[in-house]
Amino acid sequence: MSAVAAVLAEESQRRAQRLTRALLWGLLAAGVLWFTARQIGLNPVALARGAPFMADFFSRMFPPDLGHLALLRDATIETVQIAVWGTLIAIGLSIPLALLGAKNTTPHILVFHATRIFLNALRSINELVFALIFVAAVGLGPFAGVLAIALHATGMLAKFCAEEVEGVDRGPVEAMQATGAGRLQVILFGIVPQVVPAFVSYAVYRFDVSIRAATILGLVGAGGLGFSLVKTMKLFKYHETATCILVIFLLVFISDWICARMRARIL
Amino acid sequence: MVLELKNVSKTYPGGVQALRDVSFGVPQGQFLVILGPSGAGKSTLMRCVNRLVEPTAGSILFQGKDTGQGSLRAIRRQFGMVFQQFNLVKRLSVLTNVMTGRLGYRSVWRSLAYSFPEEDKRIAVECLARVNMEHKAFQRADTLSGGEQQRVAIARALAQHPKVILADEPVASLDPKIARQVLTYLRQVAKELGITVLCNLHQVDYAREFAERVVGMSKGAVVFDGTAAELTEDILHRIYYREEKAA
Repeated sequence: MSAVAAVLAEESQRRAQRLTRALLWGLLAAGVLWFTARQIGLNPVALARGAPFMADFFSRMFPPDLGHLALLRDATIETVQIAVWGTLIAIGLSIPLALLGAKNTTPHILVFHATRIFLNALRSINELVFALIFVAAVGLGPFAGVLAIALHATGMLAKFCAEEVEGVDRGPVEAMQATGAGRLQVILFGIVPQVVPAFVSYAVYRFDVSIRAATILGLVGAGGLGFSLVKTMKLFKYHETATCILVIFLLVFISDWICARMRARIL
Repeated sequence: MVLELKNVSKTYPGGVQALRDVSFGVPQGQFLVILGPSGAGKSTLMRCVNRLVEPTAGSILFQGKDTGQGSLRAIRRQFGMVFQQFNLVKRLSVLTNVMTGRLGYRSVWRSLAYSFPEEDKRIAVECLARVNMEHKAFQRADTLSGGEQQRVAIARALAQHPKVILADEPVASLDPKIARQVLTYLRQVAKELGITVLCNLHQVDYAREFAERVVGMSKGAVVFDGTAAELTEDILHRIYYREEKAA
């Protein structure tokens, strides 16, 4: 069969092309990566030399001052509260924003672009930077932290959800349209049920991330455990810093455990 | 007999009894159509044969050996499977899809690099040529029409060098003209290569046209076993409307 031979010949030719291309791109990437490694001072030797200093730092933290634990109680609760409210607000805001920012549900292409630009802006600003802005606006304290987390999480959640909406199966959507349902009805019955599992899963994940973010917002005075972390370090009370880190670790650990269980139940 | 089913039953965890005491044998090279309405247990039967589904009772012998014993890999590569929805990996090329038929023979280490030996490439192209699809070898699978996709899926099953092909409603998503074409390819390549075919169908016309032998199923049980010519109205009624009789 000569047709078979022809296909096999083309296959090896295509593979040779693929290999050459992979090799060229690989070399280019290696070159760029090597250059950037130099630029940012990637240096394992420096890390090895620095090891004793790190050991010294950790030895000063040991043992953690567990007497400090009682003082951290309120800050810990506050951290969780910030994360819960920040995430809830983000969920509320991201649902309409996702629908406006998805090509197949947006009322107008300009609204689509405006929403995407807005979401990009939200995502490009770190929680800490938002927190600084809100501390200036609403004063020191956890409310600034809640707003900071809410806005950043909205940017993430809405973008993710919008992409999920764009990826839905077209079939049910067409079927809803064929019933004479209005635009919003089509979205409610043809699209929303398809994206709910992914959205819930990501919202739970986002809560997990918010807990982590909330533990450091105190750095700029926006409430939570971060304040104690910075304070004890600045006062060289490393044993107390260790306690803070321990509490943060436990908090993240517990929230991860709860989130994993929630996700398993919902999906 | 290349395949023998002995008192096979399957009850799903929810309590649904999909197969009730099914027994029959299939000689080498036969084109056997399993005919029955949706929900008769045809798909479950097929999946019991290649152990995608574990039967709750009974045994299935392949070349005299119980398929429940020994390596799942060794058993499964003897059975090529063709699906109603084709189940090609849409983002891979046609040729790569067919080469996946060789996975049962190859180590995972090689597969990690998405690479296949030259021999597998040759086998894959030859199988494609058998269904006249070699000219589309480098296209992505999702660029093909339904009938073409199913021909590629047949080539994938052939690449396994199977003793038996299990075709689960292979033409249910195709129009009559294309459906006949696909069934003709299936029958022809099976004859050429001496492969036994078990083909689930729910359309009586195709069964009459293509089957050497028909096994009729209703509500998980075999209610007919004979040639296509013996499919009388009365028997069809038994296969398709047993519920009403029972009521």
